[in-house]
Amino acid sequence: MELAIEAEGLVKSFGRAQALDGLDLTVRAGEVHGFLGPNGSGKSTTIKILLGLLRADGGRAMLLDGDPWREAAGLHRRLAYVPGDVNLWPGLTGGEVIDLLGRLRGGLDRARRADLLERFELDPRKKAKTYSKGNRQKVALVAAFASDAELLILDEPTSGLDPLMEALFQQCVAEEKARGRTMLLSSHILSEVEALCDRVTIIRRGRTVEAGPLSQLRGLARSQVTAELASPPEGLARMPDLHAVRIEGNRIALEVDRTRLDAALAELIRVGVRDLTCTPPSLEDLFLRHYESEKAER
Amino acid sequence: MNGTWTLTKLALQRERFIVPLWLLLLVALTAGQVKRYATGIPDIAAFAREMAANQALTAFAGEIPSATLAGMAVWKNADAIYTILGLIMILTVVRHSRGEEESGRAELVGAGVVGRLAPLTAALAVTCGSAVLAGLLTAAAMTATGADVAGSLAFGAAITAAGLVFAGMGALAAQLTQSARTAIGVAALGLGLGYVLRFVADGGGLAALKWLSPQGWSHLVRPYGDDNVAVLLISLAFTAATLAPAYRLLVRRDLGHGLIPERPGPTASDRLRSPMSLAWRLQRGLLGGWIAGYAIAGLVLGALATSIEEVAQQGAAVEEFFHRYTASPEATMTDAYLWLIALSLGYVSALYPLLALLRLRNEEISGRAELLLSTPVSRARWVAGHLLFALAGSVLILTAAGLTMGLVAGAPGKVLAGALVQVPATWVLAGAGVLAFGLLPRAAAAISWAAFLFVNLFGEVLGPILGIDYWIARYAVPYPNLPMVVSGEPFTATAILIMTGVTAVLVAAGLAAVRRRALS
Ligand SMILES: Nc1ncnc2c1ncn2[C@@H]1O[C@H](COP(=O)(O)OP(=O)(O)O)[C@@H](O)[C@H]1O
Ligand SMILES: [Mg+2]
Repeated sequence: MELAIEAEGLVKSFGRAQALDGLDLTVRAGEVHGFLGPNGSGKSTTIKILLGLLRADGGRAMLLDGDPWREAAGLHRRLAYVPGDVNLWPGLTGGEVIDLLGRLRGGLDRARRADLLERFELDPRKKAKTYSKGNRQKVALVAAFASDAELLILDEPTSGLDPLMEALFQQCVAEEKARGRTMLLSSHILSEVEALCDRVTIIRRGRTVEAGPLSQLRGLARSQVTAELASPPEGLARMPDLHAVRIEGNRIALEVDRTRLDAALAELIRVGVRDLTCTPPSLEDLFLRHYESEKAER
Repeated sequence: MNGTWTLTKLALQRERFIVPLWLLLLVALTAGQVKRYATGIPDIAAFAREMAANQALTAFAGEIPSATLAGMAVWKNADAIYTILGLIMILTVVRHSRGEEESGRAELVGAGVVGRLAPLTAALAVTCGSAVLAGLLTAAAMTATGADVAGSLAFGAAITAAGLVFAGMGALAAQLTQSARTAIGVAALGLGLGYVLRFVADGGGLAALKWLSPQGWSHLVRPYGDDNVAVLLISLAFTAATLAPAYRLLVRRDLGHGLIPERPGPTASDRLRSPMSLAWRLQRGLLGGWIAGYAIAGLVLGALATSIEEVAQQGAAVEEFFHRYTASPEATMTDAYLWLIALSLGYVSALYPLLALLRLRNEEISGRAELLLSTPVSRARWVAGHLLFALAGSVLILTAAGLTMGLVAGAPGKVLAGALVQVPATWVLAGAGVLAFGLLPRAAAAISWAAFLFVNLFGEVLGPILGIDYWIARYAVPYPNLPMVVSGEPFTATAILIMTGVTAVLVAAGLAAVRRRALS
């Protein structure tokens, strides 16, 4: 098996609302794949089709070499899923839910379970109804990471986690990747996907906009740099790699292709830097750049 | 108290269909009864004497407040109204207080410019307001039938008072517990206790017990007879005595918490290893409650059977009753009564599998089904786990009632058979529930309740009371086709096999539909 997930031209509508409109998604075995799109772009719908919970109106989907609709239960032996909105059985404790999901998936690594519970600072004796959104998400994550599934499907898994836990989550993903697991990670935050993924698929309004390795993305995206310099910058505005340069006294704001960041910073340092912020591009910036470059090609 | 008015409007908005619906039903009940008695019963005083002689009826309906048309109509319906209204009050006040808090919406509201007391106050305003309305409208409707004004007002006051008491009880329970479901359970326990105390007071001749029951206080008013409205001061005092601690708790506790804290549970679990064991965890509370309730009902109703024979077999009403529930002239009045009770238990038991199966829909809406079905559990296995409880549970609850009732009534074998023969008819409803969940999931709850109401309204127990011609029942409702094994009919398997077959077909069709459809 070379491809863990292969979806082509998926179409799905809910009544009049078109959720998917010819979506393509390919995930190779062993990679961490970012599935990126703004809210409402169709990420969760795609994932539910891949899990056999929804049936596509059109297109073709393969999951672990099987048909996700017809062979759902069999294929689920080999995957673990963390929903975007985790809801647990209110009367069960977190520990019970983790064990239940683990057993149903065919076993759980006890040592790993204990280790993850400790690292995520999760009290497994509490009833699920007393957990916050973040804690419910942790329960599902621990159950998924402690399973021995070959494919993990994570739908916006960090949306309820605080920054500390988010860092821990990134660590866990790296560990799982080292074990050779395949992961599909959906998100609407570009930087999160960048930090973790080998390849990305970017979707918008139910359609794939861009798919490929991260380096390709980096070429598209521009970072925002603002700096306070030692003296008024001169000549910088004319540098070819800098865009949207605005200068006010000693302060400068500019956009730069991320591949050209060293050159731009070198220029700033030449003048002397007192203060500097560099903001990674947002998904919206990326879309903007994408459509600009499409227009330019035409 | 800031924001109370806004929240009240919000609650009214959510109740705008439900409250008018039950108000209409409750108000129409007694007024309609006056009309029916006026046309159907030539000598109301004789009728009152006949009814007063029947101890079982006295236990169910209470003492006759006055031997007038209006008085008899009150006698026939008042107890049901007090208890049903009480249940509605509990459900409504808990839904708008603890229910909101549990769903997290209260947090959203609490973060706005809303006072701490506002949500509970708004919930109480809506519930108590509708109780007052129920009383006033009933008084007006009764007056319109030509009944005495003072008596009508007294009856309205008794209704409102019963509503207030249970609104208060619900509000207090909502502060004590952390989940809405537990709060409803605690308050419903109070409601049930009030019912049983009043029942025993009138059925067992222990009149003093009536003073301990909220329903009893309203009964003591005796509209159109004594019009003793002063008793209701007890109801008002009791309401105040529940609301004061409810507000005290509300001020002291944290949002989302209760007085009865959640105990920590097990860290790990060995027992939870299949969809079946999960279904057991999710269903056991409901099933246990029904088994306990049915066992108690069997006990109480069985005890009444021993006093039945005293009722003289005379009068057209009694003859008609006898004709309806027996299949042989050799059957006794007790047999007829026992079959009536077995049937009533059967009709009510239809609700159990429907509620058990609606848990499936609840699992689906909440997204928990999505998590479960992302594991190697197939949809069929998931549904089968809950279906097993719906079907086997129906057997268990009817067995429980059959056993206790049979033992107390002194005819264990016959009564147990009478209770168990109801099972296949109840199963048909379970089949309908599965099919609704498979084909029309969004409407599953509405369909289930409609099916339950339909079967009951057109059945041979409630149907005649409501004046519906119950001979239609044979074609539309399963229960009238059951062999009357308690009252003189030999057991035949035909109807039972047909019903079991129908259930199997409905379940198979429902399962096929579940497999085919999208999961929301
Ligand atoms: N069950 C549903 N019924 C109707 N519309 C839906 C349903 N599920 C999703 N949608 C719509 O489909 C679109 C895609 O939703 P979703 O897949 O949840 O997006 P994402 O996960 O990327 O935020 C949205 O416009 C959403 O409103
Ligand atoms: Mg989503």
